[in-house]
Amino acid sequence: SNLSSLVTANPAELEREQEGRVALRKRYLRSLLAMTGRPVNFTMYEKVNVGALFGASDIDILNFQVSELKTPLGVQKEALLRCSDIIAYSFEL
Amino acid sequence: MSEWQKKTPLEWLTYMNKEVTVLAAEKHQYQGWVLTVDPVSANILLAHPLENGKMSISAVLGHAVQDVEIVAEAGDEMKEKLAHLFMPEERQRQRTKALIQG
Repeated sequence: SNLSSLVTANPAELEREQEGRVALRKRYLRSLLAMTGRPVNFTMYEKVNVGALFGASDIDILNFQVSELKTPLGVQKEALLRCSDIIAYSFEL
Repeated sequence: MSEWQKKTPLEWLTYMNKEVTVLAAEKHQYQGWVLTVDPVSANILLAHPLENGKMSISAVLGHAVQDVEIVAEAGDEMKEKLAHLFMPEERQRQRTKALIQG
């Protein structure tokens, strides 16, 4: 999507794209805030499901910091999940 | 990079407020109303109303999205609900309103 911005010649079109990007991003960041401190279920690759309390994400959404991670080997007090290992996550609001 | 990750913000915007079925890696399938698509990670965020009045929120990570199919378009009431989902004061206000109206 960064590339597409570079090849968009029309300034009005570029502005529309930037506004769209802002609207999308804002709502996503708000969802991360809403998720803070809540129990979240993570579906990982290879049929692994884990639950944890969501802490924070880095700005590029590459890692999630969680606590009380329930693994088959026990509860991990603090952990970092790599987003590339996650297929999906869910929580209730 | 997958087709989904290569889309532009304007293309992702067309999915907002639509009910979709997402086909993800390892044959996982998700259904819900599209709240947003993070333009950085291409993560798609879905809302799914539960019977107890709560909302189930799920996100499929951009790298794991294989296909997104639009099933329906949200009506005004659903759009409004989706727009206010992550605003804490708003949520409280709506809950109070629901309580009053019984």
